[in-house]
Order: sequence, then C-alpha cells, then structure tokens
Amino acid sequence: MKAFVEGAAVGLDAAAAAAARLLGKARLPVIAGLGTDVAGARAAIALAERLRGAYDHLASDVLLRDIDVMQQISRMVTTPGDVRLRADCVLFVGPKPRQSWRELLKQLNLASPPRLAAEKKARKILWLGPGRGEAAEVGATKIAAPPGTLPQTIACLRAAVLDRKTRVNGALGRKLADLAAQLKEARFGVIVWPIESFDRLTIEMVNGLAVDLNRERRFSTLPLGRATNAQNAVQTSGWMTGFPIRTGFGRGYPEYDTWRFDANRMVEADEADAALWISAYGAESPKWKRAIPFIALSKPETRFPYAPRVRIDVGTPGLDHDAVEFSREIDTFVATKATKASAAPSVADVIGLIDQNLTKGSSAC
Amino acid sequence: MLIRLAGGRVIDPANKRDGISDLWIRGDRIVAPPQGETPDAVYDVSGKIVMAGAIDVHSHIASAGVNTARLLLPENHSAHVARPEATPLSTAGWSTFETGCRFAAMGFTTVVEPAVPAHLALHSHLELADIPILDKGILTELGDDDYLLSLLRDGASKTAIADYVGTMLAASKGIGLKAVNVGGAVAIQNDVQTFDLDDVVPTYGVTSRQIVEALQQAAIDLGIPHPLHLHMNNLGVPGNIDTALKTIGATQGKRIHLAHVQFYSYGKEGKHGFSSAAAQLAEAINSAPKDVTCDIGQVMFGQTVTVSLDIIRQWNSRPMASPRKTVILDGETNGTGVVPYRYRSDNFYNAIQWACGLELFLLLDDPMRSLFTTDHPNGAPYTTYPDLFALIMSRDARAKWLADLPKEAVELTNLPSMTREYSFSEIATMTRVAPAHLMGLKDRGHLSPGALADIAVYNDDPDRAQMFRFAHLVFKDGDLVVRDGRVTHYRKGRTLTIQPTYDGMIDRRLARYYDDLYGVSRDLFKVPSAEAIGRDYAFEEVACGR
Repeated sequence: MKAFVEGAAVGLDAAAAAAARLLGKARLPVIAGLGTDVAGARAAIALAERLRGAYDHLASDVLLRDIDVMQQISRMVTTPGDVRLRADCVLFVGPKPRQSWRELLKQLNLASPPRLAAEKKARKILWLGPGRGEAAEVGATKIAAPPGTLPQTIACLRAAVLDRKTRVNGALGRKLADLAAQLKEARFGVIVWPIESFDRLTIEMVNGLAVDLNRERRFSTLPLGRATNAQNAVQTSGWMTGFPIRTGFGRGYPEYDTWRFDANRMVEADEADAALWISAYGAESPKWKRAIPFIALSKPETRFPYAPRVRIDVGTPGLDHDAVEFSREIDTFVATKATKASAAPSVADVIGLIDQNLTKGSSAC
Repeated sequence: MLIRLAGGRVIDPANKRDGISDLWIRGDRIVAPPQGETPDAVYDVSGKIVMAGAIDVHSHIASAGVNTARLLLPENHSAHVARPEATPLSTAGWSTFETGCRFAAMGFTTVVEPAVPAHLALHSHLELADIPILDKGILTELGDDDYLLSLLRDGASKTAIADYVGTMLAASKGIGLKAVNVGGAVAIQNDVQTFDLDDVVPTYGVTSRQIVEALQQAAIDLGIPHPLHLHMNNLGVPGNIDTALKTIGATQGKRIHLAHVQFYSYGKEGKHGFSSAAAQLAEAINSAPKDVTCDIGQVMFGQTVTVSLDIIRQWNSRPMASPRKTVILDGETNGTGVVPYRYRSDNFYNAIQWACGLELFLLLDDPMRSLFTTDHPNGAPYTTYPDLFALIMSRDARAKWLADLPKEAVELTNLPSMTREYSFSEIATMTRVAPAHLMGLKDRGHLSPGALADIAVYNDDPDRAQMFRFAHLVFKDGDLVVRDGRVTHYRKGRTLTIQPTYDGMIDRRLARYYDDLYGVSRDLFKVPSAEAIGRDYAFEEVACGR
C-alpha cells in the first residue's frame, strides 16, 4: 500500500489529512468514478453530503440511458437464473453481448432444456443482428441487421408481433414476420441485449417489444453490462438519498440531475473546484481535461492525465478485502470474502480517515 | 442514567393501566419507582399522553423492490422538505435515513419489512443498516419456490418441510415467514391470469390451500413466534370477499396472520360491480379463533407507489399506473411489480376502498387481533398514519372526509352511521401490545418494569393527527431521540431475527440442489454476519419455542 502527496510518498494518515484539507476548502467538490463496493459507495455518498458536493459514477453515460428509459417509459426485466431455468425462447439482440461477461453462456446453460419450464424441450435460440460468427456459436437462428438499423428493425418486429403493417417488405419483412410468429409461441421468452451499445430509443424498443409479447405469454428482457459494480453505487445511492447517481447536495438536500451533476461537465465548466476520484476495481482515470486539483483512491498502475495532488492506492473489493458487492450471477448483492487478503486499505477505510480529519468530533452517518 | 417522566397520563393496556403516574427509566429499561434515589433527569410530562413505542408489522421500507421504486420515481421526492437538520442525510426524501427519522417522530420504535424474497435478503439488510433509531426485522417470503413445491408434490413429511423453511429463515435472517398469493407466480408463468385458494399450481399439482397449510404448519413446528403472515389470493379483485372467507375457513383453528385485509373486503354489487364487503369480512374475523389476526392496509388518498411480490396483481395493475410507468421483474421466484398509483378521493373505486378500510377498523371488535397498517406504501405512505389515527378516533373527522367523496360511493357505505371512536387504550393495544405479542417481542409493547425503554410521549392535542405526527418526546432504549417531533440524533437500531432449529441434513441437500439447478453455490444467497453488512449493524435474536 502506498500513499503520495504532491508525488512524495507519505503515510496513510498524512495523505488522508492532505485530502481532507483539499476537500474541506473546496467550494463545490465532486466525487467521481465511484468504482467501489457498497461500503465505499456508502462512505463516499455520506462524504458528499458532508462536503455539500456532488457524486457521479464512471459508467454513468451507459447506466443512465437505461435508468432514463425506465423513468420515462417502463422496464421489463428478468434475471440470468430465470433465463437458465425457465426461458424456452431466447432472443439475442445486437452484437457482442458477451463482451461484458465471458461466462455468460455457461451461466445461461442454453444447450440444456429449461429445468423449471412446464415442457422440458430444447430451447429456441434466435439472434437479431449478431456479430460475425456469434449466432452459429450458440446455435441461434440468425436474422441479420446492421447495428445502425436496430431501432427500426425492432420497431418493425413489434409491428409484426401486433399484426400491423410496416413499410418493410420483401425478404426482411418475411423474416421478421416469421420471427414474430416464433416469439409469440414462447411460454417464457427473454430478450438478451447489451447495455453498452444501445441508445435510448433502442432500449425503449426492446422493453416495448417485451411488453407487447406479454399480451398472451410471458416475455422479459435481460440487459447485460460491463459495469456490474456500478450497481453498488446506484443501489446504495437509491436507498441513501432516494435518487440514482448524479446527485448533488449543494443546496443542503439531495437533488438528482443528470446534467448538472455530470462530473466531467462540472469540471470542464469550472463549477467543481476539487475532485475525489475513486476507482478500486480497475485502473480507470478521470476523463476531464481541465486541471483541477484532485485526490485519487486508485490502483497503483493507473495512468492519470495529470498528477493527482493526493494519491492513495486502495485494495480491490473481494480480492484484497471482504466486500459486499452486486453479483450479476444472482442479480443481487453478495458478501464476498477476500481471495488474496492484503493490507491495502478499502475505499471505505480511506474515506473514514478523510472524514475524521474533516470534522473532529461529529461523526458521519 | 436514571430518568423520571413525571405526571403523565400513562396508557399501558398490557397492564390495564390508564392514569396519571410517573414512569422511571434506568439505562435502556423501564424500572419500578426506585426508593430514595434522585433521578439524573426529570421530564415534566403532565398533561401529556405516555405510551410504549409503537410497532409496525407491515411496512415495505427496505427491499430491492422498494429501491427500484425509488429509482423509478425521482419525482416522488420533490415534495419532501428539510426536516431534522443536524443529522446526516436528514434532508433526503424517501430514503432509509428519512424512514428512521419520520417513524421515530411519530413515536414508532420497531418496524417490520414484510416481503423479502429469500434470495434477496442481503439487499434488505443493507438498507436496514442505514435506517437509524428503529429496531427492524424482515419477513422471509416463500411459497412459489421450486424446492418447496417439489417437496409438496412429492408428499414430503411435515418435518422435511419445516427443515426447509427453517434453513431458509436462518439463511435470510428473517423474523418470520411470509407467503404471497401462493402458487400465483408459478400460475402466471404458465399463462394463468387469476388464481384462487383451491386452484392447482401448474406442473406441481398442489393447490394454494395446501401450500398455505404447509407453511402455516411449518411456522408452528419451528416454534416461530410470528405465525405465517399471509397475503391471500385475489388481492384487489371485485368479489374477493369469497377468497378471504374461504381462507379464514381454511385456517382450521391454527395461527395465521392475514395481511392488509382491506384489499380483500370487496363485493361486486352495484352498477360498477364493486362494493364493500367489509361487514362480512369483519364478522368472519371476529368469529374466527383468537389466533387468526389481521392488519388493515388502509387506503388514503394521494400519490403513492405499489410495490409487491404479487406478480399477477401487479401485472394486471399496469394499465392503471399513474404516472404511467412500471417496472416488472419477472423472475427471482415470485417476481416484483412496481406500479405507481394515485388514490383519488373523487374516484368511486378508491372511495369504496377507503371506506372499506375504515369500516373494518370500526367493525373488528378486538384491537389485539386487528392491527394498524396502510401496507406502506401500497395503501398509502406511512406518513399518513397521523391522519388515519384521527379518522378512527373521531366520527367528526370521518364526516369531514366523507363530505368530499362521490355521493354514489357514500351511499354504498355504512360509514356515516358508525359511531365508534377509538380510545387511547385501544390505539395503544392496536399499535403496541398486539404487534409485540404477534411478533413474540416480550420486551416491548408495554411499560412494565424490565421492558425496553421505548417510550412515546404525545401532546394531548385535540387535533389527533397533529398529536401523532409529532411526538413530544420519544425514547429508544432509554435514549431521548425525538423532541417536539424532531430527531435530535441518530442511534443504531437492531435487526430482530430468529434462529430456528432444524435437521442440518437439509443444508447438504440444498447445497447440491443449488449447485445443480442454479449453477451457483447456495452460500451466495446467505446473509453474512452483521459485521460484514455494515459498521455497527447488529442482530438480536428473538427466542423460538416449540
């Protein structure tokens, strides 16, 4: 474990004290990155409140697309376990769903019949717009659709499901009509889609398709994303403040505003004057260009665009220290034991020290 | 620390007490008046009402579903304003911190989250760890899980079923057992849109009634203090009084708690095919054995959000969502539906629902068996409790509300002619003695020497809503945490759990079952030690007895 102030190696306490000085005198500090476990997210959000600052997550752009569609429209969702056990029809949409989860196919176990389905027969596997070779690998029936055309293609598929006319005719029209017919035969179908590459409209179309298919039989969706650990911050923020990430306390109470509390925007627009960057899962670094003073709770190998004033190397949750974190396998929180326990401090430990330096006497929640 | 609460009107129905007297606190306990000792602090509470801390057995305050509702509805917080200023996160809207503060401000000191899917228990405990002041508990939900249904299909013994329920309760660190429209989730997965007590669960060949009986028996066999907490079939459906009456008949004299019965008090008479059957339901509960208890689940007008594991109900409610958006999780055994809803006083159906709840309050004759709830947030947020206290305590208050309702709804309710007004003693029974008894919490709900010093002191304000909205003083474990409706500081509460005993062989069977079926270790679903959940999180065991 190492800690640095202005590039010079110091003890952890001295680094925490320097961090507290920097944050304490800031007009509007922002806590960004937030790549940490539940305890770390909890400590960071409590610190943001104490500082009357704001907080954001490094994967917000992706996450908030999905959350925004939910807040504007609706969401239909299921779990990987339910796909494994119940789905008799799986429709992949778009390329590279496995990019974010190598073990996905093993976990879904699609080659075996769904164990909890009424009829235990081979599943129907379909793929709308797969990448090269992807459909064949899982034995899926392929319906080609370039990524750029997906929203329209899904819209046409929805129309076909509802027996409505579209302008799409010819071979694609027939393929979509056939696909719609197959989806409607499912007892429990699931649309598997990648969060990273879908825009709002496509996400809305996917959810809408699931809703439409639910008129007679069950159908749901399984979103797959790289930033599973972002759920640590999103969920913790939900119960602590009532809001998702990109929330600020500048006015003395939490406000959720995905534009105002975008950490990158706050820095570039000269609104935030100090930052606490947190990335305990990987060597991510801030994307902002303007050089405001910042503190990094990060991995030793991180390459920063410019040097942090204070840098503290933190452990990886579940590796260096025990952690509670979101698990995509079971789609909820799990307590993980450190697999290579070390003395590297956790994010929560370090924020605890910063907090002690900020206010001797009164304690955070 | 020795504290004397001097000269208040002490309402302690567990000890048949209603009169002016002092109450003494030493440390975290109530003590008999000590001889010749000078108290460290004296609070003059003359003219005030003194009760034990209130206990809520059914409020959805901490779960994955509740958190989804928060994320779905950021606009729900805009109406919240700053409250106790000096405490962290005190200004957050519909948060865990707010939950602790606002319940405490009303004199509540123990609250139970009643619907936690067995696999999602850690999420609930993480939220509970951030609810200050209160003691808490969760009810673990079972009933549509393949393992249980397979045991029933295969004719497994009572003991085998109790072993399974026991290990699931222990792994989730629950305080009791919940069942929701049992069999209904599997039914809807198989395209069945309605599901009643004697309908057969597809592919398993057992009826909802058989599952209820099995769980009821398991709770008894395990010696769980709280009986099976049942969300019956057909919630909210016109004519569902028949389901409720059948279910009460099916209890066979065994202990059971029927949740939010208001939602089952509907007939289908009149031109809208929707009417109050509250009188019939009240009569059935009144004449049922003493061990059949219920809570009301009152509807109050205004914006709320419904969060439920009753996936048939929530699926069918989607078209009525207001604002028009929903989240349906079709998975994790029951699934969860989050459907925002606005109960409107000018809506015939909502007015009938409101009247049904109040009729039940006024017709159920034993406050030991009819508990005070709004099924927060499904009937109304818990923040409406003070208004509800006023309604059941005052015929005049009811008359004022009735004047605003649609005439055709008022004509169909007997509410205007009901004269009953709850006394303080009945309120204390319904919100203190009864829930403590029902949960097996011997150290609370009363003010006997030795009891936990969870105490609420209220101004005797003729405006009962104002009185119950802001308690004058609230002590938690003898610590003064609320003054004039304001939380003065946070303290950590405890989470109450049970540790039922069972044959450990079930854990070996389940380890294999999870590896094989889910492809993941069952250990992933187990709630870890309090320390792993959060700094200062603490469990306290409530004794089981056979």
